[in-house]
Amino acid sequence: MGIKLERVNFMIVDDNPPIRSMVRQVLRTMGVALVREASDGSDALIQMRSEVPDILVTDWVMSPMDGIELTRYIRKSENSPNHFMPIIMMTGFGERRRVFEARDAGVNEFLVKPLSAAALFSRINAVIERPRQFVRVGEFFGPDRRRRKDEWSGDERRGKPPPPGQAKQPPSPSPMSQSEINQVFNP
Amino acid sequence: MANVPEMIDVPNALKSKVSYGPDGVDAATIERAEQIIAGMQDQYLVWVQEDLRKIQAGYDKVRAMPVEDRKDSIRYVFDVAHDMKGQGGSFGFPLMTNVANNLCRFIETRPQFGNAEMDAIRVHIDVLRLIMAEGITGDGGPRGEKLMRGLELVVEKFAK
Repeated sequence: MGIKLERVNFMIVDDNPPIRSMVRQVLRTMGVALVREASDGSDALIQMRSEVPDILVTDWVMSPMDGIELTRYIRKSENSPNHFMPIIMMTGFGERRRVFEARDAGVNEFLVKPLSAAALFSRINAVIERPRQFVRVGEFFGPDRRRRKDEWSGDERRGKPPPPGQAKQPPSPSPMSQSEINQVFNP
Repeated sequence: MANVPEMIDVPNALKSKVSYGPDGVDAATIERAEQIIAGMQDQYLVWVQEDLRKIQAGYDKVRAMPVEDRKDSIRYVFDVAHDMKGQGGSFGFPLMTNVANNLCRFIETRPQFGNAEMDAIRVHIDVLRLIMAEGITGDGGPRGEKLMRGLELVVEKFAK
């Protein structure tokens, strides 16, 4: 028994046509019937005026509107088509600072290229089967990084420095693995 | 005053759009999708030639500029390299991904782009072209390791 995705409406946002084509074909193989494509964030927002996707899969580096700007718009703009839209960022960036920047923009899941079908399906499955609450705190609005309501630590934001004596290890400049990234987004 | 978090339960509209059945996504479906990605390798070989042309043209344009004007314009070279990084491994050329990643990191961390920096970028582009000309798939084995080590040495010179 597997999940059937034919009624789920996807939008792929990437300025690279070959990547869009690849993701489209992978989604079609998974049974997805409706896949639309946009070449950057502004193109995506224009298309969303006519139909709002159930799941957005977006690249980071695009022009004129990149994937982070698109995510911030969807989360915060009063003109957003859906503030809670599930957003999967699919990018070549795997460095820690990039991963956290995406998380703080309000991305639900983060997928490092090169693309594999298994990794993409895993992230799609996560937003369907294990959706998180949203949280509004300070400047942040987006998916909560904790699964359970009773785990709130009182910290105002994720980037709050640890208390003296409890300093975390300095961030590594090397890229994070997909499993490490999944832990950041799904603690 | 500390901000109090407002927790918002989001109705799971997605859950109501999916169903479950024997014809849903299973391991065989994923394997078919992986095969589709692998089967696009022939198309990739065409796309990557266009990317190699674009990155060389972008490089030549920046190289011809005065040093003080290069910083902004090198962004185009970065963007093409970033695309190549995202594609290579998906289509059986992870060494392309590794070299393009090295190039992206180098461009990101340089405060300026004098002739020495431009030479380092050119070496990366030459290696990208070499990988495709010789069809070096996978990680390239000992050859790939040697190429990567050579590029790391090129970059390390700038860290001193």
